[in-house]
Amino acid sequence: MREIVEAGGLPLLTPVNEAWFTSGEVAIQCCASCTTLQHPPEEVCHACGGTEFEIRVLRPRGTVVSHTVVHHAPSPALAAFVPYTIVLVSLDDAPHIRVVGNIDGPVSIGMRVAAHWEEFPTDEGPTIRLIQWHRMA
Amino acid sequence: MRGASAVVGVGESAYYRWGEAPDTEFQLACAAIRRAVADAGLELTDVDGLVSYMEPRNDPLRLSAALDTGPLAFTAQTFGGGGNGAGAAVTLADAAVTAGYAGCVVVFRALAQGQFGRFGVGRSETRVGGNAAFTAPYGLKTPAHVTALQTAAYMHDHGVGQDSLAEVALASYAHAQRNPRAVAYGEPLTREMYHASRWIAEPFHLYDCCRETDGAAAIVVVAADRARDCPHVPVSIVAGAHGLERRGGVAAFCDPDFPTAHYGHVAEQLWTRAGVSPRDVGVAQFYENFTGPVLMAIAEMGFCEPDGLDEFVGGGNLQWPHGGLPLNTSGGNLAEAYVHGMGNVVEAVRQNRGESTCQVEDVELSLLVSGPGYAPGSAVLFGRM
Ligand SMILES: [Zn+2]
Repeated sequence: MREIVEAGGLPLLTPVNEAWFTSGEVAIQCCASCTTLQHPPEEVCHACGGTEFEIRVLRPRGTVVSHTVVHHAPSPALAAFVPYTIVLVSLDDAPHIRVVGNIDGPVSIGMRVAAHWEEFPTDEGPTIRLIQWHRMA
Repeated sequence: MRGASAVVGVGESAYYRWGEAPDTEFQLACAAIRRAVADAGLELTDVDGLVSYMEPRNDPLRLSAALDTGPLAFTAQTFGGGGNGAGAAVTLADAAVTAGYAGCVVVFRALAQGQFGRFGVGRSETRVGGNAAFTAPYGLKTPAHVTALQTAAYMHDHGVGQDSLAEVALASYAHAQRNPRAVAYGEPLTREMYHASRWIAEPFHLYDCCRETDGAAAIVVVAADRARDCPHVPVSIVAGAHGLERRGGVAAFCDPDFPTAHYGHVAEQLWTRAGVSPRDVGVAQFYENFTGPVLMAIAEMGFCEPDGLDEFVGGGNLQWPHGGLPLNTSGGNLAEAYVHGMGNVVEAVRQNRGESTCQVEDVELSLLVSGPGYAPGSAVLFGRM
């Protein structure tokens, strides 16, 4: 699945999203004032307006809530890699948080999945570690 | 405010497959606006307001100079997404005219995908910022992929079948066969062709996807009392609504109501404001970049329960002349042209004027629903004066 990411484009890091994209864990933004778990990470807590955050690490597992198999390449760079599958996963520890990724093999809604990470070293900053999914053994 | 303004003119450029227009996008915009103003029996110097959505390229400064309009009193553009802004742009014109900020507002959209890039082709980027950072690295690059994830989850949750997606496409293509403006005029679609067509992104076949077009369309909005002097049957803006449900703006599929077309709150506002219900609607134009969100919006607008969609849209119920809810009667974005939903606006008005090529008899209320799947959504109810 590395080739899809390389063709799709790596995330641009910001102070707000860096933990999610570099830690190699399910690193969720947690409000220091009210402990709300929030994703995607934001500059302001949606629950209390707080602007101080910690990181809470959740278990790398969840359930597929949607998926699509992409057959028509959306850009020339991806043409060599179709068909590929995109999944949307609801996290066990925070079902309101849904995480996008790729997965190999057959997939269905309700399927149990676990996370792993792909590493992409960058010239200008920290190594990017992108969450991906596989069927739970 | 109900019915205080009216649409008195409509106009389009010719519609072309992307890349085939002999004119630039700006020239197409000017042509559509000139036609709409002429259709209204007005002069360009009468125009004092310009409203559009999504794309600031054809801005009111350049347009007002090129068209030599009257002095401008009102310019605006809606936030967010794409085709979901068409109805919102109409409500802005309605608000401006009703409040007296302007006397004659043109709502328009011009889109030349040949000149400025195809919507169906994602950008080739090595680094991706903003909300797309959470999706694009996985090859989730175009609206087809976003709406495919919404639609697949919705179909699963509510037992909606692939044939219901087909019904939306079949209606658009059937209607386009009567509309010489349609890019798919002379290209009928059968259910067998639909199912046999290649996948774009499951559950979307080729025919679930909109066209990529070069074209422009415009309407002219004036106060209701002034509308009676215009040559065509004036069409009342009975009510408009736009917006999104609470927390519907949470990004990257983490909005609490996922999967939703973001039309629950729009529907509530629209029906309350108009004092009518879906049963009173004679014909509907639902923007379809892809078929799936149309089904979701049909349910969210209150035409049926989500679990009843297969039954509601089945049996040709969306097809003129026998269906209970004729949908996208010009061929819509699938089969007429993709002018980002502005063609849907023009067709909704034509149904009230009695000028559609699939004219529903005695239309009291003609519904426009713009851009389901993307927030903020918008809808307008047009009616007789
Ligand atoms: Zn908080």
